[in-house]
Amino acid sequence: MAKLLDKQRYKCALAAMQTVQAIERALPVLHSGPGCAQKLSESTGSSGYFSPNIFPCTSINEKDVVFGGVKKLNSTIENALKVVDADLYVVLTGCIPEIVGDDTGEVVSRFADSEKPVIYAPTAGFKGNNFKGHEQVVDAIIDQYLKKSDQKEKGLINIWADVPYQDLFWLGNIRQLEKLISELGLTPNTIFGYKRGIKNIDKIPHAEFNLLVSPWVGLSNMKKMERKLGIPYLHYNTLPIGATETSKFLREVGKFAGVDEAKVEAVIKEHEDYYYYLIERYADLFLENRVINKQFTVVADAQYTLGITKFLVNDLGLVPAKQFIVDDTPKNYRDQITEEFKKLNFGIEAEVSFETDGYKIHEEIKNHDYHGYPLVLGGYYEKEVTENLKGNFLNVSWPVQDKVVFDSFYVGYEGGIRLIEDIYTVAVSRFN
Amino acid sequence: MSEIRQIAIYGKGGIGKSTTTQNLTAGLVEHGKKVMVVGCDPKADSTRLLLGGLAQKTVLDTIREEGEDIELDRIMKEGYGGTKCVESGGPEPGVGCAGRGIITSINMLENLGAYTDDLDYVFYDVLGDVVCGGFAMPIREGKAKEIYIVASGEMMALYAANNISKGIQRYARTGGVRLGGIICNSRNVDRELDLLRAFAKELGTKLLYFVPRDNIVQHAEINKKTVIEYRPDSNQAQEYRNLAQAVIENTDFVIPTPMTQERLEEILMEYGMMELADDYKI
Repeated sequence: MAKLLDKQRYKCALAAMQTVQAIERALPVLHSGPGCAQKLSESTGSSGYFSPNIFPCTSINEKDVVFGGVKKLNSTIENALKVVDADLYVVLTGCIPEIVGDDTGEVVSRFADSEKPVIYAPTAGFKGNNFKGHEQVVDAIIDQYLKKSDQKEKGLINIWADVPYQDLFWLGNIRQLEKLISELGLTPNTIFGYKRGIKNIDKIPHAEFNLLVSPWVGLSNMKKMERKLGIPYLHYNTLPIGATETSKFLREVGKFAGVDEAKVEAVIKEHEDYYYYLIERYADLFLENRVINKQFTVVADAQYTLGITKFLVNDLGLVPAKQFIVDDTPKNYRDQITEEFKKLNFGIEAEVSFETDGYKIHEEIKNHDYHGYPLVLGGYYEKEVTENLKGNFLNVSWPVQDKVVFDSFYVGYEGGIRLIEDIYTVAVSRFN
Repeated sequence: MSEIRQIAIYGKGGIGKSTTTQNLTAGLVEHGKKVMVVGCDPKADSTRLLLGGLAQKTVLDTIREEGEDIELDRIMKEGYGGTKCVESGGPEPGVGCAGRGIITSINMLENLGAYTDDLDYVFYDVLGDVVCGGFAMPIREGKAKEIYIVASGEMMALYAANNISKGIQRYARTGGVRLGGIICNSRNVDRELDLLRAFAKELGTKLLYFVPRDNIVQHAEINKKTVIEYRPDSNQAQEYRNLAQAVIENTDFVIPTPMTQERLEEILMEYGMMELADDYKI
């Protein structure tokens, strides 16, 4: 019998056009039906340079299915190169050409001598979701654009985090990670967002190492770069939110990069002093008003569910109810991620479920005893169920519909403070 | 006016489906039947003998060059004895989706009103290797209700026939498609008739007709004619007339019971084929 998946939190792999869009002056060239891109581009907004409405698309139809769509693809790429001024053209394939067997790689290779680089990523929806699609785009850059280099730049670190646009806070988050790495005296290199783009992609092979800040997304890319480009990597699986995790993060990165320990501790001290100064100022709010909920649940992709759970337990002393990871994490990563939920302070362990069905998640939330009203941090889908339970709700993961995010962030010491502000704003609002 | 009998012919590649279908068609024409033959093979050689050569522009070539706004007479030619001949055609080898091409062409034929009331028979001559859903098109959606599998006593022909039966069984569950029998296009292998009878019985069907091997078929093909047109008085012409008679009279339509690989090999062993392979000496 067909299974109904309720409130799915991801799109298909072709939505990797978001990943391309996040690279400044990179243009997705879509080899797909006309409807795919239209549907998938909703809610992403403009890259600041290209609107999704101008993405070239082969708009293949039945005739192309029967006879193959390669001619159309060839002319679409050819004309995109003529009329759209981009730095990098990334051909993304949808389901139809992949099923029909169009040799996209061969067509793209015809443009090897063009002035601007043209690469392609197989992003058929049946390959998986947009987390997988994101990895495919990064793989395409590694396989088809980058070359191994022996010239390493001292202190240059490539930073990789979760999926742009799928993570609404991606831009602010990655800028904060850059800032933290800079304070250690290292030089961060990222490819996504304002004023990064192709010149930073070109720097990738010269980095001393790759830093991946994500429970699982991008890990396969890191392994590929280690193998093909000889770049070692540090996998830090928790998005550092708040002082406890961020200090741990800085120590680990510092150690891996060979930064002087005293320097790392000095950076940490400066941040922690200010962090706890703010916390202390509002100690009354935390201790006396007792507005905050006893137990919480996070419903998000692996990075936020893990990052926020650690933050709320370790920094705010809240008690975790069951946590939900909704990004369809590949099975081989699940055990290792589950283990992370057991490494919380005060000997606390959180139960976590990898669940993509919103209905089941909501049933569990409804049936759990939160010893009072619950605190739920999740996608917009959780708003109604939380309100019905008279709980406090904060929209932190896709889909986000009750807030506009430009470059807000939850990463780092400052990000932790932002998250506390957001949570307590919701909490105090109910009484005012 | 009785319903059109729509018949799909399947079988291993090279077994002689097109030759058998066209000669059978010629036999039916002699009985005064009105027949349409739809070639469902990108090679587009299913109507060559009826048309006296590869005179037909395929449906898909026509769509490719002229668009979808075409008239029926652009894709349908009249062949031997007033038969209507259509070739689906397909993409260049190695590109596109030939299966989808079959679906497109059959839909096109329907839209253009090719299935007229005066037809008694429609034959779909489907390429040997039914590799995807598109090639099952003729037996989907209630088009062809009858299927005949062309086979011989060769091992691979029987493997293919058994495999095709699995497909028929699948579509039989939801639609009205039934297997009408096995047509043997003889290769003169040992105990072929016995083997084919046993094989057909195991599938729950019957050997509809045993067409003996005769070089005259090749001569007729070189002359771009069916045997009935080329040498109407020959024995082989009579064989095809008999085959036509058998099809006309056939009322046994079954859901096949395909066998396991082991059982198929058992039957082959029983009829001596495997031993022959062992004794083979140069």
